[in-house]
Amino acid sequence: MTAPLSTAAPGAATTWTTTRGPLAQAASMTARSLASVRNQPAQLVDYLMIPLMILLSITFFMGGQMMGTWQAFLDYAGPTLIAMGLFFAIVTTGLSLFADLKTGVFDRLTAMPVSRFALLAGRVAADMVKHLWALLIVGAVAFAIGYRAEGGWTGVAATAVVVVLFLSACSWSMVLVGLTAKSEEQIQTWMVSLLMPLAYTSTMFVEIGTLPGPVQWWARVNPLTALADTMRVLLAGEAPGSETLALLGWCAAILAVFVPLSLRAYRRRLTS
Amino acid sequence: MRYAIEVRGLVKSYGEVRALDGVDLGAAPGTVLGLLGPNGAGKTTAVRVLSTLALPDAGTARVLGLDVAADAAAVRERLSLTGQYAGLDAGLTGEQNLVLIARLLGASRAQAKARAHELIERFELAHAASRAVAGYSGGMRRRLDLAASIVRRPEVLVLDEPTTGLDPGSRTRLWEVVRELVAEGTTVLLTTQYLEEADQLADAIAVIDRGRVIASGTPSQLKQAVGGLVLRMRPTRPEALAQLAELAAWSVGAAPRVEDGEVAVPVAHPGEATAVMARVVQAGTDLTAFGLHEPTLDEVFLTLTGHRTDEKKEEVAA
Repeated sequence: MTAPLSTAAPGAATTWTTTRGPLAQAASMTARSLASVRNQPAQLVDYLMIPLMILLSITFFMGGQMMGTWQAFLDYAGPTLIAMGLFFAIVTTGLSLFADLKTGVFDRLTAMPVSRFALLAGRVAADMVKHLWALLIVGAVAFAIGYRAEGGWTGVAATAVVVVLFLSACSWSMVLVGLTAKSEEQIQTWMVSLLMPLAYTSTMFVEIGTLPGPVQWWARVNPLTALADTMRVLLAGEAPGSETLALLGWCAAILAVFVPLSLRAYRRRLTS
Repeated sequence: MRYAIEVRGLVKSYGEVRALDGVDLGAAPGTVLGLLGPNGAGKTTAVRVLSTLALPDAGTARVLGLDVAADAAAVRERLSLTGQYAGLDAGLTGEQNLVLIARLLGASRAQAKARAHELIERFELAHAASRAVAGYSGGMRRRLDLAASIVRRPEVLVLDEPTTGLDPGSRTRLWEVVRELVAEGTTVLLTTQYLEEADQLADAIAVIDRGRVIASGTPSQLKQAVGGLVLRMRPTRPEALAQLAELAAWSVGAAPRVEDGEVAVPVAHPGEATAVMARVVQAGTDLTAFGLHEPTLDEVFLTLTGHRTDEKKEEVAA
């Protein structure tokens, strides 16, 4: 491609006096992360493998014991297992932000007149595109091995929307972790010590009655229970109710806590 | 406005380490200020404070009259940073990096693309514009990094060790670009470990050590203070070292240093070196090697502080 230089006067530089708002800047940062995926597609494997392996291994190896046949288990827990795999994969948001901070890229961006929120939100938004991509692939695998939703395609689409919404809220916690972690190992530890217990003490793939008494109380308030219940309602084609409200409440609460904390951690780390 | 960059009594500590310990600096608009010092002297800390990436503990730093702490947003509008580690996204192509910066700075898609192409031409990166930066050589990365800093022409440009690790050819090309920017009216703060680089580019130099400015002036003032040039002579027989040193001292009226089997003597100009060499030949002393050198940063330090740059590292490590 040749530059439109020939039409410009020699030495004249392209200049502009316009500015763009934080959302437009965030969109540019999103495009940046996605362009990087186009150049190095291997990045996508991280996003895909966790949900795919969780779906296949738990369904085929444990499903039969839990519900008689793996097919019955797939019908009950297939979609929520995919969501759990995607939930574990949010750790990549923390890891990729941590990697960005180690290079000089964020020094340059922070010294520029650009909204800090846009720089972080761009990362989260790009990662949502990657999660959505993984959701499509793993969802297709579930369909191929026999999963069918009673709620039809509208139910599936509504479920995909709430899953991505929930992941985008939770990813802000990983933004905070990525900004404050001292090493990559610390970020991995977070996944094992926080994300896993959260998922396993919810109704992601067990029924609440099978849990020991004290854990039942926690399982009822667990945000991942709200997610699992909402997914089951939407996939069954039923009208959303209190579980969906609880999920939206959790999303709002997570954002209200982690967005300001992340911005504060950003200031402390990059401009103190 | 007298100074485009004005720093007064700047103090910045990281834990126990006083990275800046009362630094004063000034750069007139449209000039280059060279900040010369060894690793760990405080150069990068000064750069971070000026580019709003670190807040001073005490003292003030002003860019175009704007306080870096109180008016940080306004400073970011007018200052551009080229950090020590290339501020580029290695996963993007050269062109994508420049387009991203332009878009973040408010350009439309078409403007961003046009500006990226102008810079790619100017910085001789056309052959690599559509390749990922991960595969760039050190010199190409530095050029792209500098291009990214002038996507929107800054009034003040801060360059943190722009040529460290570059081969001589890449270094010379980078110097040319910096000179062009200065000719267009940009004020530049440049940190470097190389006296030659400061000499080539800077209108004024501040030598920094352990967070303090220990000398400042024009390059020629500074070179005069450290003795201009250094004549090194290596006698064939080590026993002749003392005699050679005495001869050199008597010729130039300054104390030579004797180390590693060499005599190093400061001379004001090449003629003086020729005079010394004439006496050495007359005395019949055989030399295996001799040469006339610009003083190294190490020698500047020795003269200005009485200690060498590498001693400092040992102290810090101890």
